[in-house]
Amino acid sequence: MTLRFYWRLDPAAEPARGEASARPATGFVPRDVRTASLNRYDYYVQVARAAATTAFDGLFVAYRPESDDSQIVAAAIARTAPRLLLVPEFPATVGSAVYAAKEAVSFQRATHNRLGWALTGDGGEEDAARTAEFLHVARGVHGTRPFDHDGEYFSVKGGGFQAPLANVPFPPVYLSGDDEEALERSARLADVHLLPHAPLDALRGRAETLDRLALAAGRTVELGVIATITARETAEEVAAGQGIAGSYDAVANRLADLHAIGVGHVVLSATPSLEEAYRIGQFVLPRVRARIADLRAAA
Amino acid sequence: MSIDFYWRLPTHGCHASIRRGSYDRGDWSPLQPGNVAPGLTAQGEDDGYRYIDHLAEIAKAAELSGFIGGLIPSFPNTDDPWVISPLLARETKTFRFMIAFQPGFLDPVHAARISASLQRATGGRTVFNVITGGGGPSQLWWGDDFAHDDRYGRTTEFLDIFRGVWAGKPFDYDGRFYQVEGEQLSDLLSREEVPEIWFSGSSEAALQSAAKHADYYLSWLEPYDQLTDKFARVKERTAQLGGEQKCAIRVDLVARPTEEEAWRDIRIGFENVSDATRAQWRGQPTDSVGAARQSALKPTEAKRWDDLIVGKNLWGGFNLLRGGPALGIVGSYEQCAEQLDELIQRGADAFILAGTPHLEEAWRIGEEVLPLLGRTAATTQNLLEAAE
Repeated sequence: MTLRFYWRLDPAAEPARGEASARPATGFVPRDVRTASLNRYDYYVQVARAAATTAFDGLFVAYRPESDDSQIVAAAIARTAPRLLLVPEFPATVGSAVYAAKEAVSFQRATHNRLGWALTGDGGEEDAARTAEFLHVARGVHGTRPFDHDGEYFSVKGGGFQAPLANVPFPPVYLSGDDEEALERSARLADVHLLPHAPLDALRGRAETLDRLALAAGRTVELGVIATITARETAEEVAAGQGIAGSYDAVANRLADLHAIGVGHVVLSATPSLEEAYRIGQFVLPRVRARIADLRAAA
Repeated sequence: MSIDFYWRLPTHGCHASIRRGSYDRGDWSPLQPGNVAPGLTAQGEDDGYRYIDHLAEIAKAAELSGFIGGLIPSFPNTDDPWVISPLLARETKTFRFMIAFQPGFLDPVHAARISASLQRATGGRTVFNVITGGGGPSQLWWGDDFAHDDRYGRTTEFLDIFRGVWAGKPFDYDGRFYQVEGEQLSDLLSREEVPEIWFSGSSEAALQSAAKHADYYLSWLEPYDQLTDKFARVKERTAQLGGEQKCAIRVDLVARPTEEEAWRDIRIGFENVSDATRAQWRGQPTDSVGAARQSALKPTEAKRWDDLIVGKNLWGGFNLLRGGPALGIVGSYEQCAEQLDELIQRGADAFILAGTPHLEEAWRIGEEVLPLLGRTAATTQNLLEAAE
């Protein structure tokens, strides 16, 4: 199994960067020729291209109600950020499942199938029920025609896409959460389950539970870890670093260890997002890949 | 005063010629030699272009040739305007994305958020064509089982909330269809302009909703006296209800250097329509009043192309040649401009034009027809009076 790396763009982080409305109106000595058409989206593109340039496999876009919408950001950067799988995070409350499926199909058609869905929510009972039905209906209209459904949140009659809309794959679905309910839900619904970073033994335990639940559901669910990362050239520069923290070598070894216990997807973030994407992409990811190759050769 | 001219992005494929109905642009027909987006390489393999690449060219042609933007239609078998618009935001400069959408498909607070985000991505180039009355079996396809008048009630509430959360303070709403409590857009998002709202629908329920929320009332082209009456009725009724409507027309043109050439394309196009298609030429089952008004124009059977000439430079068989409204304008560049001038005199404040193929015709109409507008004395007088 390969290890896939995703960078995570947070539209609410570093809010002044590239933000036209945050430019100083007074007291700025240089002649400022920036027009309003240079804006925050140019920064999003820079982050995405940083991830693409440094051989990340994908880009998550965080759902932040106070800032730019994750799905709008993902589409706006798609044509200038090559190769990356683009994975907006959003809750199942954004609207109709049929409409979401139709938007996904258009995105897939336009981007050579580079969309993923990371469904988020408050994890409560209603949210869980809605998310499950949302995915059932979205996959239903995507894969079945005619599709009928009469449920708690959505109802459809004679649904389903025709060619050419029916010709693209449904986006891979990423769900997350740390408790048994979340794992059970992912066993039924997710393609990838994302766990928050934790000590190796704890992650191993969760991985075993997920495998068992998925097996019972007759499915295969891949495992991922989502974490902030702090990596520096030397260990002494990592003072109280967050998340996966340490020297480039130590962090790389840690990520290779995750892979060894069955983690296939790692979603990483750090601030500032552009510079850290370059740093991780240039100095850490090659070390992880080399380390995995070494371990494989040794085995 | 000036008139806003929009073009249209064909979101369900396009034809290389009005003379033939084959969808040879886009993948609504099988990949074969001669198709584009996707097309085939010299080695006969998929060339990697996708239909969005062609739509990008149409949008850029429209903005370069003088259109303010374009309508992006939404039907079950189209690509989606909420995806197309952000995808093309960064490679267009002035093109306004007129997004067709039905309020029932999105949560209103979420819709406000994504709209503000798209305004930020485009520098304020988002426009809405709010669709409510489509109805019929296709509503159930979308997962929407509301009855006709209920849908307009829901549209009104949707737009109440859409604007309400945009006002920069916590917003409460207790409606029949939606309830929200303390919702608002962040300062970052609410700073953006609320998108201009274009509205369709001919029923009383539609007009009540339009009076409250619409900037433009959009109609397909209808026989001119009928359309003049309709615009007058809309403006009067919405004024009674406290609104102010500008009126807009969506119409296809076949504009050629001479009238003869224009009708020749229509004739050849008509002759290439199969007998089966002509026999099936009927309106779809729908509870849309607008669609019913159009289907009333149709003869029961299309036998001869010139049976469908319903007025000077007006042809009623466009939906034999491509999907969409039946009535369109056919003529020389001068005649097409005269028809548009006439419609401006009769109350049109804006247009959504289209022609097949959409890329080349955006250039043709932008270069050859739009510059001729306003030359007839009456229109010039009309515009001058409106400016005073």
